[in-house]
Amino acid sequence: MQSFAHYAFIAPQNAQQIRQELRAFLAEHLPQGDPVLKANCWMNFDPQFSRELGRAGYIGMLWPKEYGGHERNPLERYIVLEELLAASAPVGAHWIADRQTGPLILRYGTEEQRRKYLPGMAAGEIYSCIGLSEPNSGSDLASVRTSARKTDNGWLINGQKIWTSGAHHSHVMLALVRSEQGSDRQRGLSQFLIDLDTPGITIRPIVDMFGGHHFNEVFFEDVLVPHGALIGTEGEGWKQATSELALERSGPERYLSSHALLAELIDSVGPDADPLLVTTIGKLVSDMWTLRHMSMSVAAKLAAGQDPMVEASIVKDLGCSFEQDLPVAVQAVVDADLADSSTLARMMAVLLQAAPSFSLRGGTREVLRGIIARGLGLR
Amino acid sequence: MSESRTQLTEMADGLFAELRGQGFDAIWPRLEEAGFGLLLLPETEGGFGGDFGDLAAVMRLAGFHALAAPLGEHVLTQWLLNEGGLGGEGFTALASGLNSPVPWGRHADRVLVPAEGRTFLARGTVTEGASPVGEPRDVITFEMDSAESLDIEANLLGLVAFLRVCQTAGALDAALALAVDYCSQRVQFGRTLSQFQAVQHSIALLASEAAAVNCAATGVAEALDRGDADFEIAAAKLRTNTAIKTGCALAHQVHGAIGFTQEYPLNELTRRMMGWRSEGGNDAYWSARIGGQAIAWGSESLWDELTRRTDPKS
Repeated sequence: MQSFAHYAFIAPQNAQQIRQELRAFLAEHLPQGDPVLKANCWMNFDPQFSRELGRAGYIGMLWPKEYGGHERNPLERYIVLEELLAASAPVGAHWIADRQTGPLILRYGTEEQRRKYLPGMAAGEIYSCIGLSEPNSGSDLASVRTSARKTDNGWLINGQKIWTSGAHHSHVMLALVRSEQGSDRQRGLSQFLIDLDTPGITIRPIVDMFGGHHFNEVFFEDVLVPHGALIGTEGEGWKQATSELALERSGPERYLSSHALLAELIDSVGPDADPLLVTTIGKLVSDMWTLRHMSMSVAAKLAAGQDPMVEASIVKDLGCSFEQDLPVAVQAVVDADLADSSTLARMMAVLLQAAPSFSLRGGTREVLRGIIARGLGLR
Repeated sequence: MSESRTQLTEMADGLFAELRGQGFDAIWPRLEEAGFGLLLLPETEGGFGGDFGDLAAVMRLAGFHALAAPLGEHVLTQWLLNEGGLGGEGFTALASGLNSPVPWGRHADRVLVPAEGRTFLARGTVTEGASPVGEPRDVITFEMDSAESLDIEANLLGLVAFLRVCQTAGALDAALALAVDYCSQRVQFGRTLSQFQAVQHSIALLASEAAAVNCAATGVAEALDRGDADFEIAAAKLRTNTAIKTGCALAHQVHGAIGFTQEYPLNELTRRMMGWRSEGGNDAYWSARIGGQAIAWGSESLWDELTRRTDPKS
């Protein structure tokens, strides 16, 4: 038995050049705000930064040039992603479009849909959100009830999505909706690209436990979208939606999103550091190094055209645990309380409070372990 | 994976499975017959011309099948002796330090041992000892006056750590296989253990720890093949020690009492791993080194180093 199908990440010959160019770009364009904002960076919304990143060719890197893409290869893109995260760049605005929605449009979309969305997404100007969860449908995604009814003028959508990250900043939602009345579970679902300025849509914030506004409730009341809003095949929504989850779970954001805190910790200690502090840093760096190799292997498997569902779930589960342990480990050795005004203490406070969400978003820990168990033949 | 590596691992897999449960005297001639000592020697010198990736794959299988012989030590000492321009008849043992117990030291003609920052080929007086699972771990009082200094740069402790990381990768995968197998058959409360979600999640976590060590082992082998693995060895051994703690506990937990018996093969894996945590550097040793290195670099250089090491040289 082999727990993990290892794929060698053969870094492209120009890897160092890509990194140096991107680091130079970041030196010029990273916003100089409060450093605490660097924590949890892939949730940070900064449209100006996203536009500059798009202009420099770092979004939609794999997409065809005719849709605004850059026809680079997946491992080049991986290198760019890990550099952005290691620098704690505010990539939240375009992240979902670049990672999930764009590739899905490219795979299943019509020519019209591709032309409508992809160039703007690659330019860092069109942002998207994922409409999966509903009030009674969280981890049990197949219980989706939001409905789409086909009419002569288009599809009429009614229902509600919840926990939709970034809906208030997004131009379009990729929604999983029940398009066949009376259908059950995975059958009869379809995916729609719903422009969020369509009449009948209401977006309400849900403020998270420490005052942040990332997720939302989105209500649909007789929302009429054109027939061309359906993406892919009617009734195949479940298959389409779950195939993109590997993309959601395989990226380096699953272990690098809190990198700013580890970096701040390392840079805060001098040469005569307390041995406990040194060994704590050693432990964290060792975990980080291992996760990087695991994540690179998943990227290589994805690039080889294979489905790394199980491996991606393993990396996300371990990566989330690492990111949840990180602020606790820092707190255990740093002499500062959470009211302290130092950057390190404030970052630690932010991540301690954000950490519970890490093993909830993008598939809960329980769901991921279920996927791993299925991969092992246990269910 | 190269074709020669596929052949190598298929051969090793079959042989080690056959040698499971046997002692040194039965195992050793078979390993010699198969020519493992030549694994890292160049083809021009009659060797197999293998790389550290090959050695990692072989040692993973040695760990998987609980091979009770100093195979990795043998491969490395043959290679180091050859690098140092010395011949290597018989078995030369590998010591990770002057006072560290030497695996199968009693069976060795000579021992490679680090001292004063150099590597020596030495003999000494053997005081027999054993690991938890009964493998020889002998304390040797070296006769350093007559020891021969080798003209090579080698980190023997780090190389032992590399072997243990690879063996743990295999042993955790083997423990995982036992756990999956057992829980799929054992029925309690009218269903197999594998149908209980709590058990599924424990095994998923065991698989994740095994996966971490397997990736770490590959990462170190790649670094060794590039020529500098000091950082990677430290990171991998430290992560492996954590995985042994978590993985062994989970493997035993899902097995219940049967896993705690001498008869059931799980203990051949877990008791070996328990010993490996202390060998080739413990948590304190490697965490201090890697932590000190990270602090000396600073965060930006740390990231630059990590990436530079896995990128092609430009």
